[in-house]
Amino acid sequence: MTAAGATRTAAEAARAAGTPPGPPTAAPAASAAATGLVPAGDFDAVVVGAGPAGSAAALVLARSGKRVCLLERGPYPGSKNMYGGVVYPRILDGLLLDWWEDAPVQRWVTRRATMTLTDDQALTIDFRTESWGRPPYNGATALRPEFDAWLAAKAVDAGAVLVTSTTATGLLRDRPGGAVTGVSTDRPDGDLRAGIVVACDGVNSFLAKQAGLHGPVDPANYTLGAKEVLAVPARTIEERFGLGPDQGADFEIIGCTGAIPGGGFLYTNRDSLAIGVVLHLPALATAGVRPEELIAGLKAHPAVAPLVAGGELVEYSAHLIPEGGYDMMPALAGAGILVAGDAAAMCLAAGIWLEGVNFAIASGMAAGEAAAAALAAGDVSERGLAGYRRRLQDSFVLQDHRRLRHAPHLLLSERVQQRYPQLACDIVEDLFTVTNPEPKPGMRRLVRRQVTASGVRLRDLAADTWRALRTFG
Amino acid sequence: MSTAPPGSGDPDTATGSDEPQSPGPDDPGAALGPILVCRRWVDLRPSVDPLTGAVGNDPRTSGASAADDAALEWALQAAEAWGTSVVAVTVGPPGSQAVLRDALAAGAARAIQVDLGSSGDAASVAAEITAVARALTARMVLCGDMGVDRGSGAVPALVAAAMGARQALGLVDLAIDPTEPGVVTGWRRLDGGRRQHLRAQAPFVASVEGVSTRLRRASLVGVLRSGGAPIEVVVPAGPTGGRVPSWMPASTGPGRPRTHVVDGPNPHEPAWRRVILLTGAGTDRPALRVVHAEPVDAAHQLIAALADWGEWE
Ligand SMILES: Cc1cc2nc3c(=O)[nH]c(=O)nc-3n(C[C@H](O)[C@H](O)[C@H](O)COP(=O)(O)OP(=O)(O)OC[C@H]3O[C@@H](n4cnc5c(N)ncnc54)[C@H](O)[C@@H]3O)c2cc1C
Repeated sequence: MTAAGATRTAAEAARAAGTPPGPPTAAPAASAAATGLVPAGDFDAVVVGAGPAGSAAALVLARSGKRVCLLERGPYPGSKNMYGGVVYPRILDGLLLDWWEDAPVQRWVTRRATMTLTDDQALTIDFRTESWGRPPYNGATALRPEFDAWLAAKAVDAGAVLVTSTTATGLLRDRPGGAVTGVSTDRPDGDLRAGIVVACDGVNSFLAKQAGLHGPVDPANYTLGAKEVLAVPARTIEERFGLGPDQGADFEIIGCTGAIPGGGFLYTNRDSLAIGVVLHLPALATAGVRPEELIAGLKAHPAVAPLVAGGELVEYSAHLIPEGGYDMMPALAGAGILVAGDAAAMCLAAGIWLEGVNFAIASGMAAGEAAAAALAAGDVSERGLAGYRRRLQDSFVLQDHRRLRHAPHLLLSERVQQRYPQLACDIVEDLFTVTNPEPKPGMRRLVRRQVTASGVRLRDLAADTWRALRTFG
Repeated sequence: MSTAPPGSGDPDTATGSDEPQSPGPDDPGAALGPILVCRRWVDLRPSVDPLTGAVGNDPRTSGASAADDAALEWALQAAEAWGTSVVAVTVGPPGSQAVLRDALAAGAARAIQVDLGSSGDAASVAAEITAVARALTARMVLCGDMGVDRGSGAVPALVAAAMGARQALGLVDLAIDPTEPGVVTGWRRLDGGRRQHLRAQAPFVASVEGVSTRLRRASLVGVLRSGGAPIEVVVPAGPTGGRVPSWMPASTGPGRPRTHVVDGPNPHEPAWRRVILLTGAGTDRPALRVVHAEPVDAAHQLIAALADWGEWE
């Protein structure tokens, strides 16, 4: 019942609801929920995880008329999620008309910089364009509790049933080892049957593992991302980063993680900064350094300290990233199940690019389309779901991943992490150091001198340059 | 009044109406009426602007307090024991329907939202809850003891007063006996680690602390059904307070006695003597007296003692 007038009493309202005032029928409390409207019965699809991948999958499925349940273990979508801070939502162009009008954006990124740090040097390639601050935009800083909740609400608007505070604890099958027919959850009477399960349960996907889609887990394929959110007034951010009121900056940083392969980032939200590091997991385990120490070191670096000065710590969080890319991807489909987003290692982590959300959304959309088509055809076998892989192959998701499949190895190598940042900074320092009365050295001599001093062999430098050209070219 | 640890001695009778109650033996549930459980939607993690002190609320971090959840659990247990049903009510904006859906998922039969806008003071909220209770002929009301946002705990007391019901407030534990429909026994804290043991028969209003129990985990079926279940929305007749009975306090802020001038000690007395006079140090005090009495008699004795000490005119 909804309010029809402003003058009703409780009794009138109860009467209007068709329920006479007075005691409602005395029914045992436990069965009272049976008066609800939503059928408790089964769904066409269960999507596990209301992150970007899950909400996109649920949205597509609901739009195609399927009964879809979106399960989320957190109290609301995004409540348990963290990332660096920049989304590239152009993938939403085909899904949500003028998404930028109501997307919960903090700032539109108009400035991108790549910083190379040594202990006391910094070399920054800095780019800015006003065009990224206008529709259809490019990237935006956004807070996950807001962004994920917004995208999940779109799925709910389209008809998906969102169930929060509920964890999928396992897969249901038609027979031992057979096709997946739903999930069990941590609620009483918590089995949820469905024609198909779309596992979007993030980097540590227990469902994909239980389905046997993942090979053995290799920690070398993972990095740990840790970040601090520092409250800084909006005006101060705009002054320090040279930004307009809605504009944001995205700094990717290398050479800030000591002996641990990885990188760093610094992003501007509306009135906070996100600063953090991404660290190769096995190296972190043996280094005896804690991530927050590395963040503290990054914040103290002379090139970074003025940018974050006075920031008050309001949040600290950490999360795994499936860094291995194409070569660590699981089988993407099994009978009755599809895997999308980080659960399928779709996050693209290739140095200057750390893009997970857009890859998650795109793979979620493809999973939703493939699931809807398979349900319509009545064939959710592995073969019936093969359209999912085809869709991903036709899109940037697998094309970018395949092209950049060697990037993680290259970027996490010792030379790229340790020696080249030092070498680059030393060359530039030499270049700009005026040593009068000596004349300026020739560029070639200068580079040769620094390469020799760095101990990098020319053969390795040439090989890495060639690999980089092949990887990124 | 007596103080007794849980389980020992006879419980006190909760204060309020003394009208006799005898649930019909054939259909105890119908005779009892539904149990009304009050749930307040509140931000459990509000943000405070460090510069302005402004409190920011976020619907995503809002929900029912542990005390309100405990009240719901007791209500459900009582309804199961006595064969009646639970109706959940909230007084708040449309967003507050979330706490009603939680109640429906856990097993409440009906849910009513009184749309009082963003907030109402304790008296208005109590008046709305009383109106709902009357409309449903609900004679048992359960609430959390006080709002987590520095609530005063006044609402349950005001509802009890308006309903002419017994009140058992701030309970830390409750016992529900299937053989005694409409009767709850409870315990509440007293100073010095003591507990007061109370027994209340319908009509009653009981408020419980969050520690008293944990809300059951709603079944998946319950959660799914609660999502689409109807919620009855009541829009009060007038602006906030329009239905507040005249006898209810307009404000439930803390009572502040008016200041009055107290003459200081004679300035010609020596300093040590003035200190003694000001602090009362070293003077004899009346011996502590523990009184065992029925509530009405206890009240008379308290008043007499206060008059003796010159604190009651
Ligand atoms: C430090 C860090 C920085 C990053 N920076 C960026 C960046 O700047 N830009 C970018 O695009 N990407 C970034 N990423 C990557 C990006 O966060 C992920 O790729 C993206 O979030 C993947 O989305 P997803 O939906 O697949 O998974 P997730 O976002 O992890 O969502 C999974 C959801 O599933 C839920 N869930 C998990 N298990 C269960 C279960 N059993 N039952 C019910 N629910 C469950 C979780 O609560 C969660 O809501 C970063 C990642 C990290 C860790």
